[in-house]
Amino acid sequence: MNSSHLPADSSAFPAPERTHLRIGYVPLIDSAPLIVAHEMQFGQRHGLTLELCKQPSWAAIRDKLLSGELDAAQTLYGMVYGVQLGLGGPQADMAILMTLNRNGQAITVSNQLAAKLRAGQSLKSALGSLGRKPVFAQTFPTGTHAMWLNYWLAANDIDPLSDIESIVIPPPQMPDALAQGELDGFCAGEPWHAVAENNNSGKTVVSTSQIWPDHPEKALACRREFAALYPNTAQALIRTILEACQWLANDKNKIQAGSWLARPEYLNIAQELVLSRLVVTDSDQAAIPPKLPVRFFDERGANYPLPADGLWFLGQFQRWGLFKSSGQWNDIVQQVCQTECYLSAARQLNLLAQPPQAKTVQFIDGRIWDGTAGAVTMP
Amino acid sequence: MLRVLLINDTDKPIAELCQALVDHGYEVLPMVASARALSEAVKLQKPDIIIVDTESPSRDTLEQLALMHTAAPRPVVMFSHDADQHLISAAVGAGVTTYVVDGLAPERVAPILTVALARFAEESKLRQRLAVVENELADRKLIDRAKGVLMDKRNMSEAEAYETLRNQSMKQGMKIAEIARQIIAMADLLN
Repeated sequence: MNSSHLPADSSAFPAPERTHLRIGYVPLIDSAPLIVAHEMQFGQRHGLTLELCKQPSWAAIRDKLLSGELDAAQTLYGMVYGVQLGLGGPQADMAILMTLNRNGQAITVSNQLAAKLRAGQSLKSALGSLGRKPVFAQTFPTGTHAMWLNYWLAANDIDPLSDIESIVIPPPQMPDALAQGELDGFCAGEPWHAVAENNNSGKTVVSTSQIWPDHPEKALACRREFAALYPNTAQALIRTILEACQWLANDKNKIQAGSWLARPEYLNIAQELVLSRLVVTDSDQAAIPPKLPVRFFDERGANYPLPADGLWFLGQFQRWGLFKSSGQWNDIVQQVCQTECYLSAARQLNLLAQPPQAKTVQFIDGRIWDGTAGAVTMP
Repeated sequence: MLRVLLINDTDKPIAELCQALVDHGYEVLPMVASARALSEAVKLQKPDIIIVDTESPSRDTLEQLALMHTAAPRPVVMFSHDADQHLISAAVGAGVTTYVVDGLAPERVAPILTVALARFAEESKLRQRLAVVENELADRKLIDRAKGVLMDKRNMSEAEAYETLRNQSMKQGMKIAEIARQIIAMADLLN
């Protein structure tokens, strides 16, 4: 921990209204900030005890956030907006407290398809040669993986709505389903691609950082009512998790985190598989375009709940027919993203004084986006 | 006749609902025990109602079907405006989640939830009761040990020892078991 960033006197922080918080998570590499915060007891300095509650599905995370059984949770970035819009399930006013991580997801295909792609065949022709509708799995209909998968397919001239069948199965079952031929590919978080490659069930063909460099992935979210009722608690929680994210920026600490994540109560998976996806390798950097590592923190505000990131998800929901625009996109994302709350918390840690500007990004299909609502709608 | 699909992929014995639902005149579709079989089952069998353990790993598969296929059942949670609020929240409390096709009247769903509740609310009550009994037993053991300490160190009778614990409990506004715990900890420290 770089203690020079921390104010010496933690009594300067406003006391949280709630001291014991139940935090939901789905066991993934992306859960590292929550698990580190718990193991290092980073909450103590901020007057918080974190009770981590492992969940078997994103639907369970959503329902328990809405029922109040969970105070806050790790969520798929897009899912927060899905609940905000009430797509396919209950509608509720949601809040994103911070971005937990960027990058770190992938798409893995069967060995047979991977061999064709390696031999220079296009994805469209490789899928066409199957002689049946290809089946791809992702994790939640309004989540991130569904959107990365759709975007990648469309960039390869494949219509994800009609040319393939998109199904959801629990990620731990994906490598086996791929090996059994029930799937032709899957898009999910790690360590499930590490597992698939290690079992020789398939080959990872694209990292999501190649689809959208530094894309938002998991959010720390709660009901908006919670953030409004307990502002000091929300800030204390952001400070706690932000310290964990900052701690994770150090490679030595990543190795320690990897040994915690591997334990049975968390991911219950071999430590070397976890580690292989926490730390960047030379071959990642040599890839074209380069594969960016999963990013839990940077000084430029990687954790800031950027409203522009939300615009992208609304744009994709519209693109894939999940909802029809009501035209209030800027209002929606600004109400969801708790930017003031985040900035106060970050300033208390001397980390970020100003909101970062949305930067221009180039996606895998060559499209350039300046981070504004007007430019986000896709054909 | 309403077609009910049960998903049996956790420790919760969802399968036990089967006979009860048949007895109530519902058509129970062949049970599904994995997320991988679920997509096919929903598309082919077209259930009106799906009942699943809240903690089932197959729930996200159902969410995908609910959003992508207009005929697939959608999640019913306590926030639904058109469902029996009390019944739904009771079902959530018992750890049962229901997915229902759009337009199905709440009064047709209610009897099915009642059957599910009768089975699982009872189970969850039993579990709570067991936890209470186990706690009481642990408290009783603590109190007995603390009485033993007082009888031994202060030459009290059993009745006097209990009286002392009770008085301290009232004076400090703590449970007798907590006072007992303190006395035992103190005695351990002094030994």
